[in-house]
Amino acid sequence: MFSGLDFEPARLPPEAEALRAGVRDFVERELPGDYLRNSDFNEGHAVEFSRKLGMRGWIGMTWPKQYGGGERSFFERYVVTEELLAAGAPVSAHWIADRQSGPLLLRYGTEDQKLKYLPPITRGESYFSIGMSEPDSGSDLASVQTRARAVDGGWILNGTKLWSTDAQRNHYMVALVRTGPAGESRHEGLSQFIVDLHDDGVTVRPIKNIAGDEDFNEVVFEDCFVSEENLVGAVGNGWEQVTSELGYERSGPERFLSAFRVFVEFVRYVGASPSDEESALIGRLASHIMTLRQMSISVAAMLQAGKNPATEAALVKSLGNDFEKALPELVRLFAPDLGPKHPLRCCLEQTLLHSPSFTIRGGTREILRGVIARGLGLR
Amino acid sequence: MTYDLILGTAERVFTDHCTKALRDNAESGSKDDQHGVFPEDLWTIMQETGLHQVGGEQSGTSLADAFRVIRLAGKFALPLPYPEILIGNRFVTGEGLTTVAEGAIAPWARRAERVITDDGQLVDEFDVVQGANLAGEPRDEIIFESSESVKLPTNFRAIMAMTRVAAMSGALEKLLELTISYVGERKQFGRPISGFQAVQHNVARMAGEVAASTRASDAAIEALDTDRFVVQVSAAKVRVGEAAGIVAEIAHQAHGAMGFTHEHELHHYTRRLWAWRDEYGHEKEWQQLIGCRIASVGADRAWALISDCAD
Repeated sequence: MFSGLDFEPARLPPEAEALRAGVRDFVERELPGDYLRNSDFNEGHAVEFSRKLGMRGWIGMTWPKQYGGGERSFFERYVVTEELLAAGAPVSAHWIADRQSGPLLLRYGTEDQKLKYLPPITRGESYFSIGMSEPDSGSDLASVQTRARAVDGGWILNGTKLWSTDAQRNHYMVALVRTGPAGESRHEGLSQFIVDLHDDGVTVRPIKNIAGDEDFNEVVFEDCFVSEENLVGAVGNGWEQVTSELGYERSGPERFLSAFRVFVEFVRYVGASPSDEESALIGRLASHIMTLRQMSISVAAMLQAGKNPATEAALVKSLGNDFEKALPELVRLFAPDLGPKHPLRCCLEQTLLHSPSFTIRGGTREILRGVIARGLGLR
Repeated sequence: MTYDLILGTAERVFTDHCTKALRDNAESGSKDDQHGVFPEDLWTIMQETGLHQVGGEQSGTSLADAFRVIRLAGKFALPLPYPEILIGNRFVTGEGLTTVAEGAIAPWARRAERVITDDGQLVDEFDVVQGANLAGEPRDEIIFESSESVKLPTNFRAIMAMTRVAAMSGALEKLLELTISYVGERKQFGRPISGFQAVQHNVARMAGEVAASTRASDAAIEALDTDRFVVQVSAAKVRVGEAAGIVAEIAHQAHGAMGFTHEHELHHYTRRLWAWRDEYGHEKEWQQLIGCRIASVGADRAWALISDCAD
């Protein structure tokens, strides 16, 4: 039965707040003046920028020092990531490795894997892509058909992964594949492997999106040999492994800040003396951002405390995605007839063109509402 | 009194005494059965248990405690001018009922000994023109010739807005509970309607709005003694006001015709939400307050203001 949603009050501690000014200064110094800032974590694959972030110790911040990490809290990581997103800095190169693949290896990886893969990630030199979806498996992840067959010293992979962001630019993919029968739960027989995207037997084909950009890819494995050292966790434990990270994947600031630069450019556009209607819109949007941020920090606090706030995380993502989609729709009506090079127009167009992805990636709105309904005891 | 003790006492008193009949009888308005009967017995118990002065200077409790107990009262649709009683007793002392007027309109002025106006006047001789909000809660116009002055803090309007935020977030939580329980019991097509995906998704959306409201309300209370208080209350009044409309709509939709009857208690919460979101400034007033503040710091410091580390 429903026992209430658990968004405990939480504030970022002083040691986390103390990082803020440094990140701001860094971004202002490192980003060229003509760089079109974008708060979407998927936009902006910048190797040099990621390396500089790595040098500052801002990748793998929470990881143990022996693997290159900073042994910082989730709150400190939170401040760094939200500052980077709010400033519209390019973060997509290292994003998945930092948020997802690294923590996965820390939790389930072997000592050799941690020593091999984690330090280069923290230096901002090694990038990972997600290998979950397939042509016939989107929301229904348990239906993946890519198979791994055990051979001497490793596994042979065959199948196709889809929508893997930046796979054409990144070094590795963590692929979820079938290694055995699905069983009654359909969740058995899945395993995860680290695949070097430059290996023989791997073909990466970029797929152009509606914005004209090539961000996501089709990745085909044809008799691709993967050494047994690249198995992540236990054979058959893949389902537990992919679902364990959802709290981290779904509640971060990237789930409500994707359209933030539109807000910033709108504030610049209206200037110091906005009309009543303009100030009302700014205030409305700001109220949503402030509330979502409080909710997101509350989930970060639960994660820091070792809890598993799956329903709350799904809720933050769902609310946040709806908001970041609504933001450009509301702003555009206040900014007619902008010239083609106007920063607000550029920002609006970029965000609008990418906005369909907001409520699809990382769990569709429909899946999230199902997760929330289950958390409420309705199913 | 400690906060836990207050909350425990309040929960017990509200559970035992705040019945639907009591709320129905307290309603004021133009309909034949809207008698505006003040719940005298409940008021006596509130005074005996000290619940009438939570947040008062001598009570050993804080203003934050007052907001939290107002939230609980919102969850019970308490038919007393409870926010006005607590805020009134914080700023003036005296036997009997103190209420607070927004402009010239004060909840239950007809039953009050004295009225504080939000521009800092203390009035104890006044005439009353009875009125009510759309929830049937008495909202009386006061007419007076003389007053004393009472010193109110500069953020008084934000404090009063916060009482509505707190009460609304309580009522919103109640609506979520009522709705989850109703869709689990109501059967159509041979199964509980909670089994239908369309219903599940509406309730999930509602849960998001309710959780956002609770968080926004708590965040504003947490900011009480800081210079962020007014901005946080503004954001909360905006966010919770927006949620009130959405949640009331979904709650009624989920309850069907049953929830549209006067007999069902759903309207004690939905009508209050529709009324409270307009009291002490509807969304637009507070949107503009934040909007102007952000515009004045400019685009490059907008994030600093939002992430509350503005210096």
